Amino acid sequence: MKIFPENVSVYGDDIDFLFWLITIVAGLATLIVLFLVIYPVLTRKKHKAKENIYVKGEGFKQLKWIYLAIFVMAVADFSFLIIESDGWIKTQETLPEKDFHVAIVGKQWLWEIIYPGPDGKLYTSDDVKKFNTMIVPQDAVIHMDLTAYDVLHSVFIPHARFKFDCLPGRKITRWVEFTKSGEYPMVCAEMCGVGHSRMVGKVVVLPQEKFEKELAKIYKK
Amino acid sequence: MSTTHENKGFWHRFFFSLDHKDIGLQYLITTMFIAFFAGIFAMVFRIHLAFPDYHIPLFGIIDAKEYNILVTNHGLIMVLWLSMGILLATAGNYLIPTMLGTDDMAFPKLNKLSYWFFLLSVIILIISFFLPQKGFGGGWTLYPPLSVGDFGYNTPYKTFSDRFFSSNTFVLLAIALEFVALLMGGINFMVTLFNKRAKGMGLLQVPLLVWMIVIASILFMFSVGPLVAGTFMLLLDINAGTGFYDASRGGDPLLWEHLFWFFGHPEVYVILLPGLGILAEVITTNARKTLFGYKFILVLVLIATVLSLMVWAHHQFVAGVDPRAATVFGILTIIISLPFAGVILSFLATLWKSNLRLTLPMKWAMSAIVLFTILGGFTGLHLGAALFDMYAHDTSFVVAHFHYTLIPVVIFAGMAGFYHWFNKFSGRELNQFLGNLHFWLTFIFFNGFGIPLFLLGLAGQPRRYAGYDHIPYLSEGYLPLLREIATISAVILVLSQFIFIFNFIWSVYKGKKVTSNNPWQSTTLEWQTSSPPPHGNFEVYPVVYHGPYEYNRPGVDKDFLPQNQKI
Ligand code: HEM
Ligand SMILES: [Cu+2]
Ligand SMILES: [Cu+2]
Repeated sequence: MKIFPENVSVYGDDIDFLFWLITIVAGLATLIVLFLVIYPVLTRKKHKAKENIYVKGEGFKQLKWIYLAIFVMAVADFSFLIIESDGWIKTQETLPEKDFHVAIVGKQWLWEIIYPGPDGKLYTSDDVKKFNTMIVPQDAVIHMDLTAYDVLHSVFIPHARFKFDCLPGRKITRWVEFTKSGEYPMVCAEMCGVGHSRMVGKVVVLPQEKFEKELAKIYKK
Repeated sequence: MSTTHENKGFWHRFFFSLDHKDIGLQYLITTMFIAFFAGIFAMVFRIHLAFPDYHIPLFGIIDAKEYNILVTNHGLIMVLWLSMGILLATAGNYLIPTMLGTDDMAFPKLNKLSYWFFLLSVIILIISFFLPQKGFGGGWTLYPPLSVGDFGYNTPYKTFSDRFFSSNTFVLLAIALEFVALLMGGINFMVTLFNKRAKGMGLLQVPLLVWMIVIASILFMFSVGPLVAGTFMLLLDINAGTGFYDASRGGDPLLWEHLFWFFGHPEVYVILLPGLGILAEVITTNARKTLFGYKFILVLVLIATVLSLMVWAHHQFVAGVDPRAATVFGILTIIISLPFAGVILSFLATLWKSNLRLTLPMKWAMSAIVLFTILGGFTGLHLGAALFDMYAHDTSFVVAHFHYTLIPVVIFAGMAGFYHWFNKFSGRELNQFLGNLHFWLTFIFFNGFGIPLFLLGLAGQPRRYAGYDHIPYLSEGYLPLLREIATISAVILVLSQFIFIFNFIWSVYKGKKVTSNNPWQSTTLEWQTSSPPPHGNFEVYPVVYHGPYEYNRPGVDKDFLPQNQKI
């Protein structure tokens, strides 16, 4: 039984690792919580002495266990933050040198893919527009300019662990690098009207040579 | 102070009465009425997801537009009308004056006006289903540009009357009116707490539930302003053709997201706090122990309240805000989990070494704690980690997460309160067998619905989709099976609530009359008067000598000491 779709991007492992790390730590905490709930239920008839029971939870001495638990939890939380910050900076705040550049424009209800054309530059007159299928090279840094014509959309490529919103009026650049060739779904993750669930495109990842041939075919047409 | 003292029959009681108890019951009934539809909607669209070809009675086969309308209104009603209607308005109105040992709210007429606005908001919401669009369907978050025009196709409305008499406008008006209602209610709660406590009752002798409702109302007041401004601009965009959210005319759709979530995140704490308050009352009564850390909890909650105004953009990690800002919001989000951990642990410490009674309200309360903490709270840590949120955002994982925070708080804690106080407001007992049946069915099938959603989300299933079967990676392996399990569970979950409705109505008329005014042997003041309390609440106004949770106090022979009883 696999939980996640197969990972095919360079940063996907960071994300899956983060999930499992938090899940395991939360799992341990879960055992403690369950114990603290179930044990009192099992022993509920035993307590007689009122002095034992009447505890107001005031002052450091009585609260020390709770402070300790909060402290442990804070340590765990901040470790998660520190561990994830690498991945976050890598995926969101930095743009590695690009090997290929495309624009993805959300539009009710399809993905418009804009290739740079023979001059290799986007937003020039020789750009080529295609719909719903995006071909990209394998093992290459791909810059994606994300925007939308009409309403909000969101590019979601589950196998690449990539998601980012497309907003009308803004052009936001994010990157992805595929480690394996194949076809991967690209769906919309932001409510965009009646066709929202039908906005299903795909990313076709090809080895470098094959990619160049395909791209040339696209440009010729 | 209310002026009418005689009972004037049904019509008067349900429309004009100024008695806070009547108003509380009006809120309860109105809220349950509208929430009934939200529950049916959930059942219908869930059936559509797993069995798209099934012809649903009364609804037929759902198309994408209808699907969006059902989901949107389900979300809106559940969050804005059910959650706040039960936990703030009903609980606040019925319980605040009785728990404070006073005759009524500080401003009974304002209170009545608040209910009328609430009723009006419900009526306007219902009208929105009978306009040309047949209901608003742009998602409960109302994100523009989609919410400005025809949300199905994003085509603009042509004439002014098209725009004004559109579901978009009416939904926004309904929301605005409901906010007016809750603001008036909130002011009343606050003033009542500070000015109308029973003689002798210090601020730190007030039951935690009252504090929680008042703090929640204050938080609501602080956070709602920006959304009102945002709603006003959205109404102008729809009706006057302005472009506040239209990028092509210098506006910005992200502006709405900020204003919406500046309210939207505190809103979940507005819901959570009264829920925690109910848990405190039910747990202490049934654990026969004083609340562990009364002051500690209050301090933690105040810290969390302030923090909750600073975490809104965790809903927008991948929406186009600066990623460095996202880091700050991520840190604050993680920090806000700490005070709540403290509150939950204080509750667990209250259970520790207790002679707890496993009554029906206690079962609801304990499962609320477990489900909220484990499946709602801990998965919040997952989503608070922005990097993982990039993957899980807007998938079923998020849907599962917020149902595991909202349902334990609204349904489980709400039911704990309902089963706890039913005998107080009706003077009768609920049927225990039906009550247990309702509890177990709800518990089992809520998980049967929620756990598959986590797995579906992890498999990459986006939310708000009117069907998944046409998408290959989502119709492989065990995923269709999970959707079927979730759907069947959801249907049983919703249907089990009819057991509760039946039990409620039957017991109000036919239930066994209570033999004691204080059957749970509880300490707070609402139990020290008759069931139901008379107009004015008390024959003799109580004088308070102790804190709210004096159970098993050494030197007292009974195991509980009511607040108004001298030792
Ligand atoms: C009674 C059982 C319930 C069931 C079976 C149920 C089911 C669902 C499902 C399946 C969705 C996601 C739809 C989609 O993504 O396509 C959903 C959305 C939602 N639910 Fe529930 N739900 C229930 C109760 C509640 C309660 C009690 C609350 C709040 C107090 C709530 C709040 C929401 C919200 C805010 C949404 C998001 C709506 C949107 O995306 O616009 N639900 N519900
Ligand atoms: Cu979409
Ligand atoms: Cu939030």
